[in-house]
Amino acid sequence: MKEPHILSAFDRDLEAVQAHVLRMGGLVEQALLDAAEALETRDEALAVRVQEGDRAIDALEETINAECARLLALRAPTAGDLRVVLSVMRIAAALERSGDYAKNLAKRSRVLANMSPLGGTSSSIQRMARTVVLRLKEALDAYIGHEVAVAEDIRARDREVDQMYNSLFRELLTHMMEDPRNIGAAMHLHFIAKNIERVGDHATSIAEQVIYLATGEMPGEERPKAEMLPVSDVLGPDAVGGR
Amino acid sequence: MNDMRLVERDVEQVQGKIEARGVQVHYGEKHALKDVDVTILDRTVTAFIGPSGCGKSTFLRCLNRMNDTVASARVEGRITLDGQDIHDPRIDPVQLRAKVGMVFQKPNPFPKSIYDNVAYGPRIHGLARGKAELDAIVETSLRKAALWTEVKDRLEAPGTGLSGGQQQRLCIARAIATSPEVLLMDEPCSALDPIATAQVEELIDELRAQFSVVIVTHSMQQAARVSQKTAFFHLGSLVEYGETGQIFTNPTDPRTEAYITGRIG
Repeated sequence: MKEPHILSAFDRDLEAVQAHVLRMGGLVEQALLDAAEALETRDEALAVRVQEGDRAIDALEETINAECARLLALRAPTAGDLRVVLSVMRIAAALERSGDYAKNLAKRSRVLANMSPLGGTSSSIQRMARTVVLRLKEALDAYIGHEVAVAEDIRARDREVDQMYNSLFRELLTHMMEDPRNIGAAMHLHFIAKNIERVGDHATSIAEQVIYLATGEMPGEERPKAEMLPVSDVLGPDAVGGR
Repeated sequence: MNDMRLVERDVEQVQGKIEARGVQVHYGEKHALKDVDVTILDRTVTAFIGPSGCGKSTFLRCLNRMNDTVASARVEGRITLDGQDIHDPRIDPVQLRAKVGMVFQKPNPFPKSIYDNVAYGPRIHGLARGKAELDAIVETSLRKAALWTEVKDRLEAPGTGLSGGQQQRLCIARAIATSPEVLLMDEPCSALDPIATAQVEELIDELRAQFSVVIVTHSMQQAARVSQKTAFFHLGSLVEYGETGQIFTNPTDPRTEAYITGRIG
């Protein structure tokens, strides 16, 4: 790591905002895991706790923004210090959005608790949530260690989450086609899957901030993407042609 | 992309005004400046930063041969102004200093009237024919130094009676009265309050339209505010020289980063 500032209070300020971000990351990870658990186990009380816990995440983001503003005004950070402040603000924003998705998942899980389950979809969602949380954790760990190689790897692996989403999408379509009464639940589950996939994108954007922090440059756009599934692939050409 | 950038900070000048190659300075036994290569651009503000004793002022003083006046100083290497070697025996150092003006850390007006302070240079260099022309030079110089409105009614008052910030602007007016091509400033704001500092900085930014300005400063924020190019000196060497925005957001050399972020003195 870098040598300390001559003015040690500057180091304390920078460490404080980074500690807040890591705490925020911990809360978001737990919220996502709990929300997915609440969905799988139909635990409404847990879902309510996740919904209420989002306030703490939002409050942390506000604290981080206020402290970053103070740091910019009072310490006039430059070079690597400036990039710490900028990346902290962007990561806090990504985490805040991820927290909102966890909250939304919890809300939908309470609706789904009163509907009949759709095969193994909720456990597929839980698996997907765990993968995304792991990705988030890895990205934040890479942030602490300024590990560019790890961050590049996280970026490259975003496709895995996209693929999980695509296969869930297929599964949900099948359920809806089997029985139109499944459509309500399947739509909720689809939004959940889509939101978890978006959290994956936020994990990727955190990994990009690691690269920016360490190198001063944002990585290019060459990130691999899973291909969008044409609906006809899933339903077959007849189904799309219309019955 | 160009319109997305902070236009003010674009370094559009590519034309070199001063070229320094392999400049070495010894003060007696002390090797104060080691092999400095740098191109100072025309109509650009260049800031020299670095800890005390790093050689930045020494190098600044090479640019108008002020080190000639220091008995123990030995300057080697080649420095050219518009392609002409400033150490050429045919060059008169006094003429050189008319072209390459200097403003010092402490305002040092002559113990004369405000008018005479500014008129001094043009008089000794014979730049004005007659009183009317000299009056015009004094007025223009004071206007450029943003001092005219404050002193126009008391041009015969002594320059030393002005406030610190006004004295420094008077010294700038004096330095630009000989129509220099390059203006060297050695910590011009270190004795000034924040308002006077801002006025001098505004002035520097305006002077850039006509001159090449080189400023030595201990205030990193001042370097960031006024310059388009920044050079970082450390232990007698030029460590990094680049566009100011790049130096302050993503310096290449770890020593530059350590210095500007306050990790090494």
